Amino acid sequence: MENNNPLSPHIQIYRWHISSLVSISHRITGIINIAAITIICFWIASLLLGENNYELTKIFLNSIVGKFIILGLTWSFSFQILSEIRHLIMDLGYGFELRATKITGLIVIIGSFVMTILIYLIGKQFI
Amino acid sequence: MNNATKKWLFLKASSVVLIPLMTWFILNLISVFDKDYVDIVSFFSNQPSKFLFSLLLVFAYLFSALSISEVFEDYIQDEKIKNAANKVLNIFAIITPLITIIIIFNLDT
Repeated sequence: MENNNPLSPHIQIYRWHISSLVSISHRITGIINIAAITIICFWIASLLLGENNYELTKIFLNSIVGKFIILGLTWSFSFQILSEIRHLIMDLGYGFELRATKITGLIVIIGSFVMTILIYLIGKQFI
Repeated sequence: MNNATKKWLFLKASSVVLIPLMTWFILNLISVFDKDYVDIVSFFSNQPSKFLFSLLLVFAYLFSALSISEVFEDYIQDEKIKNAANKVLNIFAIITPLITIIIIFNLDT
């Protein structure tokens, strides 16, 4: 059966707004997060190899690159959480006015960085 | 209720479940990622982490399969390619969490 449904226009023809930035970032962070969860699945599988084979993974996770990746993941998850809450609020019929979409979009962007710092400090028991 | 409505409801329900699970996981990931082998195994093999992480896996892969199929709907016009892509996606979304959950339940502290 032939499908004549229109496709989404390609992203380069959009004029960028906070809403479009949050929307595309929501999709990108979603893909990053599921890729990260898949890598975590491999990480868990690697635990079956035993303690002696874990040394290299531990060295990597304790390196600056490893820590930066974990911090980046924390931001990606934080962004997804806040953006998902924004979507759920919109699904309930709130926040569709232009001003509201800009404000909630900004809350998601700025809030994701604040949440990353808070999660890091709480996770490391600094607070 | 048509399929699109069912899909939307599953997407929203999984999103509601995922918000607290992702918050819990990322908080714990930060506290354990740089620890020793024994601590990591202990985290994944003890309750409630074992149960909560398994739940996270099931809902994360369900949510991602539903979301990515929306992306396919938006950007792939050829029905055959779209169906094949969705099948690969669904197989991946079932097998990966299933194998990982089996591994978690077989980890020894």
